[in-house]
Amino acid sequence: MITFDLLEPRSVEESTTMLAQRGDEARIIAGGTAVVLMLKNRLISPGALISLGNLDELRYIRSDPDGTLRIGAMTTIREVELSPVVKKSSPTLAHACRQVGNVRVRHAATMGGNLSEADYASDPPCVLVAARARVKVASARGVREVPLTEWFKDFYETAIQPDELVTELILPPQPASVGSAYIKYVTRSSEDRPCLGVAAFVDRDAGGVCRELRVAVGAVAATPQEVDAAEKVAVGHPLTAELIRDVAERYAAAIDPISDLRGSAWYRTQMIKVFVRDAILQAVDGQATESK
Amino acid sequence: MKRIVRLTVNGLERDVMVEPHHTLLDVLRREFDIMSVREGCGVGMCGACTVLADGKPVSSCLTLASLAHRQTLETIEALNPDGELHPIQQAYLDNAGFQCSFCTPGFILATKALIEENPSPTPDEVREYLSGNLCRCGSYAKIMDAVLDAAERHRRTTELS
Repeated sequence: MITFDLLEPRSVEESTTMLAQRGDEARIIAGGTAVVLMLKNRLISPGALISLGNLDELRYIRSDPDGTLRIGAMTTIREVELSPVVKKSSPTLAHACRQVGNVRVRHAATMGGNLSEADYASDPPCVLVAARARVKVASARGVREVPLTEWFKDFYETAIQPDELVTELILPPQPASVGSAYIKYVTRSSEDRPCLGVAAFVDRDAGGVCRELRVAVGAVAATPQEVDAAEKVAVGHPLTAELIRDVAERYAAAIDPISDLRGSAWYRTQMIKVFVRDAILQAVDGQATESK
Repeated sequence: MKRIVRLTVNGLERDVMVEPHHTLLDVLRREFDIMSVREGCGVGMCGACTVLADGKPVSSCLTLASLAHRQTLETIEALNPDGELHPIQQAYLDNAGFQCSFCTPGFILATKALIEENPSPTPDEVREYLSGNLCRCGSYAKIMDAVLDAAERHRRTTELS
């Protein structure tokens, strides 16, 4: 028999008070697509489930005057995918959200839930790492921001504390000179979770010389994988086919991938080479199209 | 502990007693006697338990019934309250868009949401929107015909009105 208290706070403040009181035995439920599965499989047995369904204050997508994109934690993945604001300021995030699960999951699942679950095979996380996004979390102790690069700690583990709640996702503005892409590679059916996903953000000057390269590979390890040493190889040089291949090979050499039903470790290493290359090429193409 | 939840299903409000862990799928079948919502996979992948929540398809197997009071819920029964087939149902029938029909209520509800959002979907858009609805008889080609036909019927009706 599964039994727990179901709490429905009406504000962020009330939610964080409940979290502070119930501490470790409480779990947050947002869209439910992850938490209900965990409950059904007895992976969690919380004493209290705190539903954020009443928190309309966390349901928004807005752009600051400087171009910073702010997405409330209770915004659904589907709303992010379809939002004209997101499509304009972060088309790669909109594209990655479109790849999540199926349309029913995306209608229920939320951006805050996606970040809190930290599913290694989810699509948005590696885009958000490469975009240098930040997560805003609140607790009765106050509010803090965590860079996505420090957010994911292990399989289904984040930097969040038991009394904290994700309230907002913040994407910094990308200069017009930045091109980006996300490629999801599936090895089974079209609606499957990825064997790997690669997000690439490329900043080049007018002469085509790379100013910055950020590539994050998802679904191959516990957390999105970024290889700083490989990215640095590209900086200061034109992104030739040869250089891009070199970066991709360095990614493949540096990442120690998992083996699962979607691909063995050996296979994933080969695919990292292919899709890191393709993602950088697509990001460069995207940049060319946008600057026209 | 059981609690009373007021659910709005197919236009009717009803109070039901549910445990906090009961899914909407369980409650629709047990308390509302609605057997058109079915458990296929139980993990949100197959679409046999699809219901419309505020007009949007969701998996009732991943929805806690106690939290479903915020939304207006519809199952396939909402489509033909007077017993007359809804144009989408007629299109599925005319195009033989099913075999065993276990998945059909879910497909038709997803089709309704798709057409309302996008009255002229391309075959690729249909494939993408319905990629999370599985038909183990493999009637996909006929389902595609049915969806495109249903969209055309819908456009014709909206032009007339």
